Amino acid sequence: MHIPDGFISPQTYLPAYALAAGLWAFAARRVKRDLDAETLPFLAAYTALSFVLMMVALPLPGGTTAHAAGIGLLAVGFGGWMSFLAISLVLAMQALLFGDGGITALPINAVAMGFVGSFSALAAWKLFGRFNESIALFLAGWFSIALPALLVALILGVQPLLAHDAQGAPLFFPFGLAVTLPAVLLPHVLIGLAEGVLTMLGYRYLTRLRARILQ
Amino acid sequence: MKRDRAWLLLYLATVIAATLIHDPRWLAVGLALVVLLAGREAGVLLRRAVLSVLAFNTLISLSYLGMAWWRDFSPWQTLLLLNLRVLLLTCLTFLFITRVNLFQALDFSRSLTYVLGLAYSQALTFSRAHDDFRYALASRSLQRPGLLDRYRASAAAVSWFIEKSLHAATQSSQALRSRGFFHD
Repeated sequence: MHIPDGFISPQTYLPAYALAAGLWAFAARRVKRDLDAETLPFLAAYTALSFVLMMVALPLPGGTTAHAAGIGLLAVGFGGWMSFLAISLVLAMQALLFGDGGITALPINAVAMGFVGSFSALAAWKLFGRFNESIALFLAGWFSIALPALLVALILGVQPLLAHDAQGAPLFFPFGLAVTLPAVLLPHVLIGLAEGVLTMLGYRYLTRLRARILQ
Repeated sequence: MKRDRAWLLLYLATVIAATLIHDPRWLAVGLALVVLLAGREAGVLLRRAVLSVLAFNTLISLSYLGMAWWRDFSPWQTLLLLNLRVLLLTCLTFLFITRVNLFQALDFSRSLTYVLGLAYSQALTFSRAHDDFRYALASRSLQRPGLLDRYRASAAAVSWFIEKSLHAATQSSQALRSRGFFHD
């Protein structure tokens, strides 16, 4: 779902930066208020955790692998705003320190994966948690992948409509919604299953670990 | 420090400019300039940029070629424009990464520099540990590990990273507090 540089029009990424900047500012205030002045090391540690979770390969039957994102686990474990900031920092680090992703795609990736991913996971966790914790955790992981993928597919799919030349040829991402929706969404619906399992098992481990540390 | 910040602003302005230009000739001129600026590292820069965009751009280009053939229109102008722009932006980013100290460029915010520095150093440590986990599984397996073994290895790695993150956060917090960071 990571979009590289050069496929997103300025008509999209400039307003996306304005939106993301507002969300980043609000998230920074919320995280500082909810924790305390010592938030910084925790934010850094969860950012590093999120970074490495994106490197962990989730084995799929047939010998292939998908990469975890850990968005559901971070959101349910540490809160939506903390998760949003950590994912955004990871994406910024990947774009500006490792050259992976892209500076024009950063706000879209951050809003999609960080904001929509984290808060859809939290919503699923709160909504279904009343009935069954395991199902709620699994759905939190699944939604944290499926909904951002849907948003990314929509954003990519509208690029030919937003930016084209006088003859109608696309200037940025060249495929419309009829292509992007199935091409982006279908694989992520499957990857979401693995992410759901990771969220379920990871959260249980995290809860046990926190209890041990508190003791 | 001011120099790094100026380069960051110049980089951002050039990125925006590259997305506002739709003439492949000007994008080619921009790419040539970036390669010239790279000097002796031009070959390495180009190779790294091409390798990093190769998979995604090949997929997009071949799919667009297929669509053009199916619908009977000429795809070359669009493909040239897209690939040149992606390559220019990628080369520009790699040149920026090698020439500019991002931590100094962002030093207008103390908190941002600290959190980025801490996150980056921990991410590098975790990245090395992740490689170690991978090598450990490979070196202890005579055959390609089965699905269950790979699940167990991934689960062990994830649990180790979660535990390490919680401890690292607590330790960093205590270290910063003991040095008066939160009271300055």
